[in-house]
Amino acid sequence: MIIRFSKLSIMTNLENRKEIIMEEEIGIKENERGWQDGMSKNITFIVTKDCQLACKYCYLVGKNEKERMTWQVAKKVIDYVLDNEKQFKEQSVIWDFIGGEPFLEIELIDKICDYIKTEMFRRNHHWFDSYRFSFSTNGINYDDKRVQRFIEKNIDHLSIGITIDGTKRKHDLNRIWKGSGGEEQGSYDDVVRNIPLWLKQFPDASTKVTISSADIPYISESVLHLYSLGIKEVNINVVFEDVWKDGDDNLFEEQLMILADEIIDKGYYKDYACSLFSDSIGKPLDAALDNQNWCGAGKMLSVDAAGNFYPCTRFAAYSLRSKRPVIIGNVTEGIDENLLRPFLTLDRITQSPQECIDCEVASGCAWCQGENYDAAETDTIYQRSTAICKMHKARVRANNYYWNKLYRKLESEGKRNDYDTVSKKSGSQSC
Amino acid sequence: MLKYLIVQLDDSAPSFCHYPDSEREPKLIPLDTLRKGLLRSMKENLTVQFIYPDYELPNEYAALIDSVYHADIVSVKSENSGLLAGAEVIVINSLENLENFKFAEGKAYVWRTSISDFLKNNGKLSMILPRIDRLNVVFTDVANFNDSLKVNYAKALDKLAEVIVAEYDRQHPVQLNLLTDRILLDEMNNCNAGDECITLCPDGRYYICPAFYSDSKNAVGDVNNGLNVKNPQLYRINHAPICRTCDAWQCRRCVWLNRNLTLEVNTPGRQQCVMTHLERNASARLLENLRNNKILGLTKVLYGRTLLYLPGLLFGFEKCGRGCK
Ligand code: SF4
Ligand code: SF4
Ligand code: SF4
Ligand code: SF4
Repeated sequence: MIIRFSKLSIMTNLENRKEIIMEEEIGIKENERGWQDGMSKNITFIVTKDCQLACKYCYLVGKNEKERMTWQVAKKVIDYVLDNEKQFKEQSVIWDFIGGEPFLEIELIDKICDYIKTEMFRRNHHWFDSYRFSFSTNGINYDDKRVQRFIEKNIDHLSIGITIDGTKRKHDLNRIWKGSGGEEQGSYDDVVRNIPLWLKQFPDASTKVTISSADIPYISESVLHLYSLGIKEVNINVVFEDVWKDGDDNLFEEQLMILADEIIDKGYYKDYACSLFSDSIGKPLDAALDNQNWCGAGKMLSVDAAGNFYPCTRFAAYSLRSKRPVIIGNVTEGIDENLLRPFLTLDRITQSPQECIDCEVASGCAWCQGENYDAAETDTIYQRSTAICKMHKARVRANNYYWNKLYRKLESEGKRNDYDTVSKKSGSQSC
Repeated sequence: MLKYLIVQLDDSAPSFCHYPDSEREPKLIPLDTLRKGLLRSMKENLTVQFIYPDYELPNEYAALIDSVYHADIVSVKSENSGLLAGAEVIVINSLENLENFKFAEGKAYVWRTSISDFLKNNGKLSMILPRIDRLNVVFTDVANFNDSLKVNYAKALDKLAEVIVAEYDRQHPVQLNLLTDRILLDEMNNCNAGDECITLCPDGRYYICPAFYSDSKNAVGDVNNGLNVKNPQLYRINHAPICRTCDAWQCRRCVWLNRNLTLEVNTPGRQQCVMTHLERNASARLLENLRNNKILGLTKVLYGRTLLYLPGLLFGFEKCGRGCK
């Protein structure tokens, strides 16, 4: 959303069903919160465990070509969810399709979406006019005719994120073609050619960049490159796994400082956003008031090809390195409410070690319940992994620099007070 | 803080709690293992509780056991009458043939029962309460409790409460864990396995409680290397988000059931909570009856007590703001 100063007027763009807040030309672009953030149920179909790529940081350790969802299973999932309207009271729904690469199963997806729409209408379901179909894709077959037909048909109810990691050398470092073995073949060229079409269809689309140890030197150039492609919102996550080497934190901080200077000096902050910089991170958190869980596991529902339910895809066998999958039910027997209880009652304090409870820069320091479970010493989701600790602290230092510099600039231009009035203090971004 | 050590003396020792009876062949804990475990208990000021097999132990075992302060948990079927006479806790698996059984004064009896047997045997239990000082009812199939049993369970508890009122009236303050514990307690009083209490089993390993002995992967240390409970905080009430705000103080908060039903030792399954709250509410009605009948005086501790009856099970997890039910 673009935050503009004074004389706000709100106009509704009916075509995109989005609110655009318009004003004078000076503002700071903030990261979008997701559609119906916090009010929607997220139902994820793991339609395939196959993907054309073999990204080096991919947490899906058990990808394979065999486990593809059948129409019978998909239909049972939809029937189960819609039959149990009372159990799914959220005011809206996001039907999420992931893989592997979801668009490999576009025909199945098209059939699923048609059935969902028909059934929600036939049942007069409360989600009938409050739904989204959402996709995270590697973008490779985005221009495929079947994918394009699907997009055209559902454009008013679609969110599609294409993952592109930045410059060619950064993207190709990790996002390589499957089976490219000794001679690694990057996928940048195959993705970037689809970006203009994607942005034409979804001008406000954002991309998600994942940072692992080897990517750090390319962060700044990559974000700026993505801006130059016309992507206005870049969401960056450092991986939660314990991959960080000595000195990575300092390198990370350095990169973010370079990026901060570029964004501020060249005025990108007006129209472009990068999730690494947020004025709400890096503060102590109150044990009672800020005790909520961060991640959405348990509030969402994932289902795999066998019809098993998971609290999040991260708890399916193909995502786990060392633990048993956490299956909370299946399409035939439904959800076992007992198995959901730990997820729904988990809070920050109970799972955090004392150093995190006392931490002076705790806000915005994220965790992934699935990674916590995978890394825990016992089979529990209640042991927070702190592998990203030093990376968060480095981010906070660079983030402080960014806001000090930006505020000073706005002040010298006489615009700081306006910003303070309009700025939303958004909390931590959820997964 | 660790306070108790339970020692299961034999692989075949019967269950005294929610977990099923052992199906293993008799196999005694090696004497040396027992010695090491007891030595540790003395050094760490732990009170020891022994769970016995039904057969009589060799003399050298009896002598070693006698060298430490301890309590004995014995099945009513024990072949050792001397042990049975002295035991602090006697476990009964069936109410059949107990018409003429002489319940000893001041002793605690444990009745392990399925929910359906409990409901069927309400009459028999009403006959036993006047003859017993303390009875712990322990359900062996909590996982099978469902909402259709709620009404019958509450009714059965109310019937037993009537017997308790009558017993109080005739100066016999009988204790039935399901109904009197909550009104006699001042704070949470759970099993606390893994926090205050740990179990040594015949394989020389420590377990959270004997229920976890079914799989050696559950071991949390051994007599040679000491205890090694991973994530020990999760056994403490302050790390149990649902329980720590609950006022069903009599609840066993069984971590073994928790793990079976929710996969987490610190999170109870709904069945345990619902049963426990029906007991809590029945206890509130019992207290009210005792007050109305002006017979609180028998146990001074009951003076001034209040326990609100909360219809509709308004307890921690059902009013949880995070949507948990
Ligand atoms: S992981 Fe580190 S930075 Fe994050 S809250 Fe804990 S101590 Fe603070
Ligand atoms: S943070 Fe991890 S566990 Fe939570 S919703 Fe995201 S992927 Fe799932
Ligand atoms: S955890 Fe406690 S209540 Fe549960 S079976 Fe073991 S001893 Fe009994
Ligand atoms: S009733 Fe449920 S919430 Fe209360 S102490 Fe027992 S297990 Fe915990």
